[in-house]
Amino acid sequence: MRLGAIFKKKNKQKSKDSGQENFTVDIEKNLDKNLANLRKMLEEPNDLVVREVPIGNTRSAVVYIEGMIDKAFVHKNILNKLQEYQTDADDSRKILEEIFEETITVADVQKGKTLDDAANALLSGSTVVYIDGARQVLIMGTRGWETRAIEKPTTESALRGPKEGFVESLRTNMTLVRRQIRDPNLRFKTYYVGRRSKKKLVLSYVDGVIHPDIVKELHRRLQSIDMDFAPESGYIEQWIEDSFLSPFPQISNTERPDKVAAALLQGKAAIILDGTPFVLLAPVTLGSTLQSPDDYYERWTIGTLLRTLRYGAAFIAIFLPGLYIALASYHPGMIPSDLAFSIGASRQGVPFPAFIEALLMSLTMELLREAGARLPRNIGQTIGIVGGLVIGEAAVTAGIVSPIMVIVVALNAIASFAIPEYSVAISFRILLFGFMIAAAFLGLYGIILAYIMVNIHIVNLKSVGVPYSAPFAPSFFRDWTDLVLRLPVPLLTTRPKYLQTNDRTRTGKGDTDA
Amino acid sequence: MRDFEYSDERISSREIMVAMPSVVIGAGVLSLPSDLASITIGSDGWISLAVSGMTAIALAWAIAKLASRFPQQSFMDYASHLVSKPVAVVMTFLLALISLQYTAFEVRQIADVAKQYLFDRTPLEVISLTFLLVVVYAVSGSREGLFRLNTMFLPIILLITVGVLLFNFGWFDFGNLQPIFQTGFTDLLRGAGSSVTSYIGFGILWFYVGLVKDPEKAPRAAAIGMSLPMLLYVLLFVMIVGVFGNAATANLLYPTVELAKTVDLPVGFFERFESIFFVIWIMAIFNTTVMVLDVAVLALHTLFKNTPKIKILLIVTPLTYLVSMYPQNLLEVSRFGEIISYTGVGLTVFLLILLSVMLKIRGGKP
Repeated sequence: MRLGAIFKKKNKQKSKDSGQENFTVDIEKNLDKNLANLRKMLEEPNDLVVREVPIGNTRSAVVYIEGMIDKAFVHKNILNKLQEYQTDADDSRKILEEIFEETITVADVQKGKTLDDAANALLSGSTVVYIDGARQVLIMGTRGWETRAIEKPTTESALRGPKEGFVESLRTNMTLVRRQIRDPNLRFKTYYVGRRSKKKLVLSYVDGVIHPDIVKELHRRLQSIDMDFAPESGYIEQWIEDSFLSPFPQISNTERPDKVAAALLQGKAAIILDGTPFVLLAPVTLGSTLQSPDDYYERWTIGTLLRTLRYGAAFIAIFLPGLYIALASYHPGMIPSDLAFSIGASRQGVPFPAFIEALLMSLTMELLREAGARLPRNIGQTIGIVGGLVIGEAAVTAGIVSPIMVIVVALNAIASFAIPEYSVAISFRILLFGFMIAAAFLGLYGIILAYIMVNIHIVNLKSVGVPYSAPFAPSFFRDWTDLVLRLPVPLLTTRPKYLQTNDRTRTGKGDTDA
Repeated sequence: MRDFEYSDERISSREIMVAMPSVVIGAGVLSLPSDLASITIGSDGWISLAVSGMTAIALAWAIAKLASRFPQQSFMDYASHLVSKPVAVVMTFLLALISLQYTAFEVRQIADVAKQYLFDRTPLEVISLTFLLVVVYAVSGSREGLFRLNTMFLPIILLITVGVLLFNFGWFDFGNLQPIFQTGFTDLLRGAGSSVTSYIGFGILWFYVGLVKDPEKAPRAAAIGMSLPMLLYVLLFVMIVGVFGNAATANLLYPTVELAKTVDLPVGFFERFESIFFVIWIMAIFNTTVMVLDVAVLALHTLFKNTPKIKILLIVTPLTYLVSMYPQNLLEVSRFGEIISYTGVGLTVFLLILLSVMLKIRGGKP
C-alpha cells in the first residue's frame, strides 16, 4: 500500500470511442466469401498476395502481404508442401488438422477464427492459409522484412566496450540483451501499444533481482497507455513518466545492449519498443544520469576521475554563465583585482549588460547545436566552423560581445557536451537559462535561491517511485562506493541499495586458490 | 515482499539527527559571538555556550523522550490525552505562533545580512520576499523532501564552516583568548541566557518525533544532533575571539561572517570570501526557516484538519511576511529575536514540565 500511495495516481480513463471499426466477423465456410471479406476490409491493397492451391478436390488459398514476409521461406515451407500434399480426406476440417499437424514445416503455427485474427496476422507479417469449408484459418509466423544490420550505436559512442547497438527489430534487440544475460530469470513481458500501430512492446527485467513493486508499477503504467500510434520509445517515456512538468528525464534511454544488461542486473527494468533502437531504462536517479559504461570498463582510478570530471562539467554546464553575470554585474569586488581589470578592459565598448551578452551568445550556441544536429555530417562541420569561428571572432571584433564572454560560453557548451546522456545535457541547458535569469535579477543571492529551488524540485521528484535524489538523500552510504567515486570492481560487491533489490550481492569473494 | 522503506511519509531517527543541527544552525550564529563577547571577559564565553548547549541537549532529549512515549501520534493527540483537548488546542496554537514568528525573524535576518554583504541597493522587501517564496515552495512539497534537503545541505554547511576555521588558523593568536576564567558566575549565566537564542529549534521535536519510524531511538538522535551545533559554536567562538580579540568581537555586527572575511584563499581565485560564505550560509538559514515554517503548518493542520495544507500555507505566508517587515531597524530586529527566543524557550520548558507531570499522573498509553 505504502508504495502505491507514493506513486502518482495516473488512472487514465480508457476511452473506448469508436476510432476503429471492429471486424469481429467469423471465418465462413465459403472460401470466396472469406477472401472477399478480407479484400473488403483491407480495401484491395495491391501488396496483398492471394495464391490459390487446390488440395485434392478442396480449394485452399495462401494469403500474405508482400514485403512483410520471407518469400523463400514461404515458398519452401508452405507453398511447396501444400502442393505436394496428398490426402484421401474429404472433410475440410480434417484436411485443416492434417495440414496443421503434419504437412507444414513452420514452427510457429496458430489457428484463427475471426477475420480480425487473420487481418492482424497478415498486417504483422504472417501468412494465412484458408481452406474452403473450414471455419478456421492457419496463421503462420513468416515475418521477414528488410532490416538494418547491427551497427555501432551512433548517439552513444564509447572508447571501450561492445560496439553493437540496438536496431529497429524487437526480436534482434531482445536477442542482444539475452546474449548478455543468459539467466533463466530474465523476463520479457509483452504488451501491445497503439490502437492503430499495434506495436509490440517488451518490459524486461531480471526476476529475483528487481524489486517486484517496480515491475508492478511499470506494468500498471504500461497498461494505461492508450494512444493511436507509438513511433518511438519517447512516446512511451512521456506517457509513463512520473512528472511531465519536470525538466529532468525520469526515464533514460540508450542504444547500448551492454548498458541495458548492466542496468537490468542493478535491479532496473528496460522497456523495448518494436521499431526503435532506443531502449528505455527505469528507474533513474540523478546520480545515475552522470554515469557512463566507460567508467566501469576503464580501471577504477580512471573511472573515478572521469566521474569527478563529469560532476565538474555538470557544474560548469549549469552555473558558469550565471556566475559570470552575477560576478560581473553585482559583485565585481569578489573577483581578484587583476582579473577584474582584464574583464573590465575586455568589456570596454560592449554595448550590452552582461546578461544580454550572455543570453545572446548562449542562444547562438543553441542555434548552432540545433543546426548542426539536423544537417548531414559534412555540412554540420561547416556550420561548426562558420558559427564557432566566424561568428565568434566577428562578434568580438565588432565589439558586440567581449572575448571573456566567448570563453565562458564556449567552456559552458563543451562542458554540457561532456554529459553522457543527451536528454540530461538538454535539461541542464534549460536550467542554465534559469540560472542566468536568476543571476541577472539577484546576483549570487539569486543563484543560490535558484539552486535551492532545483534541490527542492529534485527531492520531491520520483522515478517509478524511487526518489530522484537517492542515494544522496535519502543517504545510502553503501551506494556511495559507486556514485561520484567508482571503487575497484572487486569491492563493488552489492547491488545499489536504493533500488532495494531482492538479491543484494553482486559478486562473491572471488577465487583466491588459483 | 519488501516495500521501498524510504519512500513513505515516515522518517527515520537518523533524519531527526540531521534535522536538529539543520534547524538550530541558522542566522543566529552569525551575530552570536558579538553578544556573547560583550557580556563575558576574554574567551570565557565558551563556558556560557557549553552551559546553554548542554541545557539545549537536555531539553531536546527530554522532549524527544516524552514524545516518543506516544509513537505515531501527533502532538495534538498526546497533548489532548494528557491535558484535555482545549488546553492542547491552545498549546498547539501557541507553538504554531512561535514558529511563525521565528520564520519571520529568519526571513528578516537573511535580508539584513544580505544587504550588509551582498547588495546595498536592492530593497529589503525584495530580498525577503524572494527568500520566503522559495521557502514556501519547499514547504508545499512533501515533508519527506524537507528532511532530504537537510541531508543534502548540512554537509555543505559543515564543510564551509570547517573551511573557515581551518583557513583562519594563521591569524589565531592565543594572546587574544586571555584572560581566561575571569568572568563572574552571573555574567556567565547571562551569557548562557543570551546564547540560548542560537539553540532554539528543539520545538520541532514536539511534532516530528510522531513521524519517526523508530521512536525509541529518537531521544538519542536528537541529543546527538543537538551536540553538533554546540561543538560548532564553541569552536567558532574561540576562533573568532582568538582572531579578533574580545573587544573587537563585541563591536562587530556579524563576527562569524567577518571571520570568513579574513580568509585569503591561497589560490586567490575569489576575493571577499565572506560573500561566498554567506551565500552558502543562506542554505543553513533556509534549512532553519523551512523546518520551522513546516512545523507551524503541521501544527495548524492538526487544528484545522479539513483545510488543505497548501491553503494554510498560503494564509500564513503573507502574515509572516508582514511580521518580518515590521521591525524598523537592526536594533528592533535583534530585540524581536530575543523576545521570540525567550518566549520560545519559556513555552517549551513550561510545556515539558506540565506534560511530564501529567504523564506521571495519567500514564503513557492513551
